[in-house]
Amino acid sequence: MLLPGAAAAQEEVASAIRRYKDREVSSGYYEEYEVLPRRQRALVGIPGVKPGVFPYSPAAAQVRIRTRLADSHQGIKFYQYLRCQYCHIHETKDMHTVRANLTCRQCHGGEPIASIAHIWSPLNPIRRHGYVCAKCHEGASASFASYIIHEPNPALASTFKSFPLLAYVFWFMAVLAAGTFLVFLPHTAMWGIRELFIKKEKPEVESED
Amino acid sequence: MNQKTRVQRFSTLQRLFHLLLILTFLTQGATGLARMFIERPWGQTLAWVFGGYDACRAIHIYVGIIMLFGFGLHCLYLLFNINWRNFPGSLFGPDSLVPRPKDIKDFFQHIGWFFGIAKPPQFDRWGYWEKFDYWAVFWGIPVLGATGLLLAYSLAASRIIPGWGLNLAFWIHRIEAILAMCHVFIIHFFIGHLRRHNFPMDRAMFEGSADLETTRHERSAWVKRLETSGKINNLLVPEAGTGRRVVYYVIGYLAVASGVFLLIGGLVNSPYITW
Repeated sequence: MLLPGAAAAQEEVASAIRRYKDREVSSGYYEEYEVLPRRQRALVGIPGVKPGVFPYSPAAAQVRIRTRLADSHQGIKFYQYLRCQYCHIHETKDMHTVRANLTCRQCHGGEPIASIAHIWSPLNPIRRHGYVCAKCHEGASASFASYIIHEPNPALASTFKSFPLLAYVFWFMAVLAAGTFLVFLPHTAMWGIRELFIKKEKPEVESED
Repeated sequence: MNQKTRVQRFSTLQRLFHLLLILTFLTQGATGLARMFIERPWGQTLAWVFGGYDACRAIHIYVGIIMLFGFGLHCLYLLFNINWRNFPGSLFGPDSLVPRPKDIKDFFQHIGWFFGIAKPPQFDRWGYWEKFDYWAVFWGIPVLGATGLLLAYSLAASRIIPGWGLNLAFWIHRIEAILAMCHVFIIHFFIGHLRRHNFPMDRAMFEGSADLETTRHERSAWVKRLETSGKINNLLVPEAGTGRRVVYYVIGYLAVASGVFLLIGGLVNSPYITW
């Protein structure tokens, strides 16, 4: 299989953990590598707007199905003044974004950003593993690329529809853990308290016999 | 000579395995939490101890594989130590760790005793809480080991399972690990150290033996059984010397201190986890 220039792509990945100190120290220049300096992340909050409850979205009034467009943001007003995270707030909170500090463009490409199901999109599942995942995960397969990067919050009721198995697995484990502590925390605390009130040991043993 | 005032509860091999479990479990807890909280100063300091984020990952993987080997060895040990002569019956006898109806009865009677409405149950060789601890580890190691191997070798794993299975493996691994750590650092430590019966430390798992009179008080059914069969004479041992007891206390309290440190640090930083 013909893979894109994977080694060149790897050079662009940097994060708070794996950094390119030499470049930062010598030039202080990051933009070329699409890398942010340590402890400085893109603005993901809108001042005065609590994300999640009333998500800020200038395009919210005209939502359309955009899964098969060559330019998925086609027709959005003032698009050039918007930032990805103004609308895609949840997509900035997964491990690849937060921990590996990947920028959106490193996977989704430059403008115009195609819908992931568009036939020529690099993120189309038929070539995602080769054109996107393999940039860092050398040897990625199509199965590997089916890992859900923008994972829904497994605790939410909506996840039972979007990723049912994840929701069931999460709630099974959560109930198991909560059940263990619901039984054993009070049990152990009561045990500890009760033992403070045992009488002297000898007489009690004899009376039991 | 010392008087033989203590009754043998654990063999040297069992104590060695428990020590190995202490070391590997705490290492896994520390390296795992360091990576979980790497965005926080606490996690970064913890990771620094092991040589950074990537070193934590490497240690976590290899120690995890050691634990899986330990689990395999324990299964072999089980095969050699099961009483095959009375086989199906011996599994459900009082010397076995397999739960039996009496454990459920003991559990409720114990709770009744907490509230003063029942007599304290006469425990046999293993209390129901000890059986729970044993089976928690017995299920925990394969679950954490299997999901951990899938996540560590994700490229190879995605040949066996679909890639989205790694999303599931991640959550199983994380919740099971939190459950295991909280259980050990709160409940297991409290029962082994803080309750009045054991305070300041139950040395049985380190020294191998427990004080006979104290054991008679809590595990009266077991001691009675040993006395009627006469086996008790083979199990009585003298107390360990002062030097060895100091070592046991130091090991025990180092483990408790590490666990409590991880517990408190994890709880304090828990609002800032990247989920």
